[in-house]
Amino acid sequence: MKRRNLALTTLSAVALSLLSCVANAQPKEKVSLMLNWYLYSEHAPFFLGKEKGFFDAEGIDLDIQEGRGSGPTIQAVAAKSVPFGYADVSTMIKVASKGAPVKAVGVALQKSPMSVMGLSERNIKKPEDIKGKIVAMTPGDSMSQIWPLFLKKTGLKEGDYKVVSGDGQTKLNAVINGQADLLLGYLMDQNIKIQDATKKPVTVIPFADYGINMVVSGIIAHKDMLKEKPDLVKKFMRAATRSFEEATKNPEAAVDAMLKANAKAGQRDSLIVGLKLTTPLYHTPETAKLRPFRVSPKDMNDSFALLLEYGGLEKSAGKADDYYTNEFLP
Amino acid sequence: MTMNKILNSGWVRPFLLIVVMLILWDLAIRFFNVPAYLVPTPFSVVEQLWKEWPMLLKEVGPTTWATLGGFALSVLVGVPIAMLIAYSKLVESYVYPLLVFSQSVPKIAVAPLFVVWFGFGIIPKIIVAFLLGFFPVVVSTVMGFKSVEQDMIDLARSMGSTRLQMFFKINLPQALPAIFSGMKVSVTLAVVGAVVGEFVGSNSGIGYVLQKANGNFDLPLMFAALVVLSMMGVILFALIDFLESLMIPWHASQRNDHLVSS
Repeated sequence: MKRRNLALTTLSAVALSLLSCVANAQPKEKVSLMLNWYLYSEHAPFFLGKEKGFFDAEGIDLDIQEGRGSGPTIQAVAAKSVPFGYADVSTMIKVASKGAPVKAVGVALQKSPMSVMGLSERNIKKPEDIKGKIVAMTPGDSMSQIWPLFLKKTGLKEGDYKVVSGDGQTKLNAVINGQADLLLGYLMDQNIKIQDATKKPVTVIPFADYGINMVVSGIIAHKDMLKEKPDLVKKFMRAATRSFEEATKNPEAAVDAMLKANAKAGQRDSLIVGLKLTTPLYHTPETAKLRPFRVSPKDMNDSFALLLEYGGLEKSAGKADDYYTNEFLP
Repeated sequence: MTMNKILNSGWVRPFLLIVVMLILWDLAIRFFNVPAYLVPTPFSVVEQLWKEWPMLLKEVGPTTWATLGGFALSVLVGVPIAMLIAYSKLVESYVYPLLVFSQSVPKIAVAPLFVVWFGFGIIPKIIVAFLLGFFPVVVSTVMGFKSVEQDMIDLARSMGSTRLQMFFKINLPQALPAIFSGMKVSVTLAVVGAVVGEFVGSNSGIGYVLQKANGNFDLPLMFAALVVLSMMGVILFALIDFLESLMIPWHASQRNDHLVSS
């Protein structure tokens, strides 16, 4: 008898708490975004948007998770472990071509930051200067795959330089310690790190200056979600667009917002320099007048063609249209 | 009868288990509907293994040299250190704690430094392989020399044998089984060390292939490289096992009765 009473009380308590939940009027939906890497300048706009309440305004309680490479982030989205991922779009195309049901719903970095860079004291100002030098690269990454195209466009040949291979940290160490003259990297990433470590200026030769462009980071979602929760995707992208616009206007505030959320994200000054180098990559000439994340079909097709020719993407992958959509953007 | 004999011979059993595991792997993928971008099918791995075999075989070379280099260094450095530790309380009290301390340092964290210090050649790979491989050699060898029966030594001494004679007739033979078991663990760890070294900075080797396959999201090639790597470990292990059977045929571990039973 007593036990039954207890059960009843518990039940009514549960019912009451449920009721009060409903009464609270539309609780915010917790939505996770998994980043491509540990925090760095590129991620600051999301923190600014969260701090400014852009996501709150859409009824989204944004939870930002650090990642360990674009590949695992895309796999997590494909496995529905997280609803949204911030990852390299060309990697996403490769994974999706192997059957992962994911799509890019907005491309953040549309202009490629891929570059070859080294300490200015080594006097490498134009591609011809690379002859006889040592270049550090990571085997299999997007930059080392596009590198042959850079050689072709600049009239260099394979034997003109020496290669040393290693992971990201080794590339940096090699240039900082003089074991390599140059490395393949992103123009808002390694150059700042080299400069911080050596206190010496760095010369950057962007691939984009030689007509090589490739879309980079974007927001990735599961195809099921595009069908089942199109409204949530639209809300998320509206908030993200506002965040990126605000960060372009006010990079310092974006970096401060990120540092407030995680003080270990990096040094404030370096992050601000990095973000200021990142925001010009939000647009290509094709999309200069459009809001962030809206990518042009031409830029996507060009990137896709590069992936087919140099990136190891198989011909059966189809066409660029299958891998991205602008329809959820404001 | 002959079929039964073949199925029960020691060489076939592990292969049977491999076949069973491959079937289970395939069934698991079919049953749970695991997509190919998360786990490749065994067939696609075998296919890639077949297709890329010449390339994989070529890249096995540098990894093997680095592994053997690291392993040789482990034995050449590990055994003498272990002997000093086993015979001198003083050395033991100074050195042993430090060795344990050094073993707890995550090698992957310091590996990039070796490239900075020693360049992009084979040396940083050998050093990482050595660092992973030498600790088991030291621990086993210390145990081997310490567990020599005091009675035997007393007997030899009473019969007037010299220290050198005692070492080669009693201490070393009695320690060898333990040294070999340490070497077997060491060689498999040295393979891991060599690959870690290749991850960090190398223009060739299986670690390089793994990194490349990872960048291309080529899971079948990645698994194929892992298979090659494991085979390398097995072969090196078997070689040491063979060496052991030549050097200590009298020891219990070399009696073949566990293979020919039933």
